[in-house]
Formats: sequence, structure tokens, C-alpha cells
Amino acid sequence: MKLKPAAFIPELLRHIFKKPATVRYPFEKLKVPDDFRGTPVLKPELCIVCRSCVRDCPAFAIEITTLSEEEKKYKMTIHNDRCIHCAQCVESCPTKALFMDTEFEIATDSRLKLKAEYIYSRQKKTDQKSQQT
Amino acid sequence: MKKITIPIGPQHPALKEPISLRMTIEGEVIKDADIRLGYNHRGIEKLAESKTYIQNIYLMERICGICSHSHTTCYVQAVEALCGLEVPKRGLYIRTLVSELERIHSHLLWLGVAAHEAGFDSLFMYTWRDREVVMDLLEIISGNRVHYAINTIGGVRRDISEQQKEKILEGIEFLRKRTEYYTNLGTTEPTFVARISGVGKLPKEKAIELCAVGPTLRASDVASDIRKDDPYAVYDEIPFDVCTADTCDVLGRVVVRVKELIESYKIVEFVIKNLPAGEIKIKAPRKVPEGETVSRYEAPRGENIHYVKSNGTDKPERLKVRAPTLANYPATIEMLKNGFVADIPLIFAAIDPCICCAERVVELIDVKSGRSDIMTFSEIKRKYFCEKKRETL
Ligand code: SF4
Ligand code: SF4
Repeated sequence: MKLKPAAFIPELLRHIFKKPATVRYPFEKLKVPDDFRGTPVLKPELCIVCRSCVRDCPAFAIEITTLSEEEKKYKMTIHNDRCIHCAQCVESCPTKALFMDTEFEIATDSRLKLKAEYIYSRQKKTDQKSQQT
Repeated sequence: MKKITIPIGPQHPALKEPISLRMTIEGEVIKDADIRLGYNHRGIEKLAESKTYIQNIYLMERICGICSHSHTTCYVQAVEALCGLEVPKRGLYIRTLVSELERIHSHLLWLGVAAHEAGFDSLFMYTWRDREVVMDLLEIISGNRVHYAINTIGGVRRDISEQQKEKILEGIEFLRKRTEYYTNLGTTEPTFVARISGVGKLPKEKAIELCAVGPTLRASDVASDIRKDDPYAVYDEIPFDVCTADTCDVLGRVVVRVKELIESYKIVEFVIKNLPAGEIKIKAPRKVPEGETVSRYEAPRGENIHYVKSNGTDKPERLKVRAPTLANYPATIEMLKNGFVADIPLIFAAIDPCICCAERVVELIDVKSGRSDIMTFSEIKRKYFCEKKRETL
């Protein structure tokens, strides 16, 4: 192959007049795609406390504690500081009670602030059915 | 001239990850090299034994940030083989699509690194800028730029829409033009060619003898590619060529990777145009029947091997990973021999090393006696902590 000295020069010169390839973050932001995997969020009204999400989460980021056995009250804690944003919980959930939002600027000064807590009473399966019909 | 040994690393400005290289040099010429690993050991294989098969997908993904899809695919293929699952065609096609997009991003990244090590920083900037195009495509498909998490046992997790297909084709068209330009540039720019040709020689016989893999092997004129030799997913249905070069040096490794980029564009286009309709996954059992299997995969850096042994529960009994970089170390030593000290970063970068992926065991060497041992943690505790205590008493 024939060698051409300084073959790169025209390309370099062309770039002087081009727009920058980056955006001026944080003043300008790029849009993330619609099904971006952000933070897992619970819709408490749909959860049947089957604990599939707890079992499948690879980072042990979901915790469900029973607050009251009689009233069927539960607390779900999603530790977003441990979460690796894989969305396996969303996939494991049989009732689609979990979804991923598109938030990506979640940095804070304390990992405790990343915890999300949901206190709710469980929907009986029959309740859900009656709601649907 | 007197021979002296100089240590490079574990921490060194020329190294991106910790590794220890000991070079025996005579003047400026390297006479012998020794590679010491173990500075980046993460205990992933042990951890995998305590996680379920589903959780392990995400753990395998984190072996490497660049070939994350390679490790998950290799792993799920093994588990699917153990369960006897027949993955739907569409699932396999999407898997192949993501693996080729990954190869594109990895090779573009490598091209930039090689250019940087050779002192051609404008090429480095431009390839990395163009790489953003394929990163964005991966993000659109999977929801994340680095850890795509598209694989699951029994298929893939996300489908591809018509809109996404169009975007992918557009992106690939752009990248093809850019790559053609870089091919032209990389092989005609005299300073760049002079810097990389003849550096890091690995003759064909040596490459075979030392079991080199991937582009390193193909640059020594050995047409070996797992996608052709032992086709997995749908590679037996896809037309593509195995790219080789016969110069056996860093220039050859650049040429092989650039040619592979062009092949990958072809594969992506073929996959998009021939994507069959149907399901993307089938349901997998939680418990995997007893057995053992080996799965092979052509990662961007070479052959990746996963060995999985199951004992009938929902957790693997043993999971062994052989990352491609590990296979290329013996060949690297051969390449370094009789080279110059100034070529070390370039030669090393040319195998596209991923050091922490290759870290599998920690070897303890007694400094006084030179005795080497592989120990369990309780032995370490007994030996070192107890001895310390006794001494202080
Ligand atoms: S996204 Fe993944 S890591 Fe995060 S809570 Fe869900 S399963 Fe766990
Ligand atoms: S969120 Fe879904 S998977 Fe988790 S306990 Fe509730 S219903 Fe089950």
C-alpha cells in the first residue's frame, strides 16, 4: 500500500468547523431511551407479597418485612445503594408491581438517602379479581 | 552487557490495571519477561457457588465491563445445555445481534487505545467519539450502555421493534463509512505504520504452540474463530469471513480487528434483515439437573470458556471461567522478548488485555523461601494471623 504522509490533516482541519461532539452537561441533558433501566419503583397496590423479587435480586437490594400479620401489613425497602439496576425484579414480579423509572442522576451525599420504603397492606387475590371485573 | 531485571507494575502509569511485569533487560532490549497476576482477584467463581442460576447471570456480566455480553452468553449457553432447553430462533438472533454490536464497540475502543499507545491521539479521540454511536444503539436495545443484561436462561429479555431496527441500520451505515476511512488512514499514515509494524512479533508456529486466541492468533495467520470452528447461537446460518493477517505484529492485529469490524457490520445487517418472528424466550426451570458442561464463545478478545457443574439444586456446584486474556499471556511474553522497553505498553495493549477478567487464583509466595502455595482462607488465617499473634505475645 502507498504511504501518504500527514493523511490525517484534512480530517483534522474539517473538525475545527464542526459542532462539539459533547453536550454541556448539566446545562444541557441528553434524553435517555424510554426503556432505560433506572431505579426500581414499587406500585404497592399491585403487590401480593410473593417475594419473587427478593429471591431473584442478585444484589439483595429488596427487603420485605412483615409489620402486622393480622392486618397483612408489609414494608418493602428497596436499597437503591445496593441495586445494580438489572431489572430482574421487574421481570420476576408476577403482577407487574415493579417498574424501572428513567432517573439516572441519583447521586447523593449519603447512601441512606437512596433507600426507598413502601408501607402497604397486601391485596388479596380475590380483591384484585373483583377490582379487575 | 549486564542483564538487569526491572519491575513494571503492579502500579505503573503505563498500565491501566494492576499487573506485575518483570522484565530482564540488556540495555534497551527485553531478554525475558515474567508476568505475575493476582492483584485484582475478586473471588467471582466462589461467589457464584452461593448464588442462584438467575442471579449468576448478573454476576457473570460483571466479570468484564467490555465483554459483558460474552460472559453472560457463554454462561447461559452452558446452563441451557444442562437443562436441555431449545432457545427460540428470534432469541438467538437478538443474542447474536448484541454480541456483534459488542464486538464493534470493543474493537473501536481497542483501536483507540492502540492509537493512543502508538502516540496517535487524534485517532484515539475520533474512534472513541464514533464508538458512542454503537454504545447508544446498545442502550436503546437493552436499557444500559455497559451492562446490557439482555440474556436470560432460555432466551433474551427484550425484543427489538421496527423503529429500533431502523436506528441500528442507520448507525451501522455511519460506522461503516468511518471504519473505511480509518482503515485507509491506519494503513497509509507513515508515522503510525512505522510505529506498529514489526513490533511484537509472534510467528505462526509460536502462536499455535502457546495457544494464543482471538485476534492475536488470527494476526499470526491462523484462521481460527469459535464462531466458525464450533458455531453457537445462529452463526452457522450467517455468512461471514474469518479475518486474518500474515504480518504477525501489532500492525497485523490492527488490520485483523479493523477487518472484523467490517464483518461485524455485515453480520448485524444480516441479522436485522433476517430476524425471524416468534418468541424470544422459553421458561427455564429454577433447578438445573445434575451434570457438567463446557461452553465456548468467541469474545472480542478471543475464545471464552465457561465450565458449569450442577448438582440438581438451584445453585451451581462449580463455575469456572477462562477469560481470553489469560490464554494470551504466554504469547505476550514471546512477543515482548527481543523487543524494546518503549514497546511494552504497545505490545501489551495489542492483546487487548482485560486483567481483572483473567484473575482466577491468588498464589501466595513466601518471600524468604520462595515457596509457593495455594491456600484456603482458613489456612491463611491459621498460618499468618496465628503466627502474628504468637510473635506479639
Ligand atoms: S434492579 Fe436488580 S439489583 Fe435492583 S432491585 Fe431489581 S433485581 Fe435487585
Ligand atoms: S413486588 Fe412483585 S415480586 Fe415482589 S413481592 Fe410484590 S408481587 Fe411479588
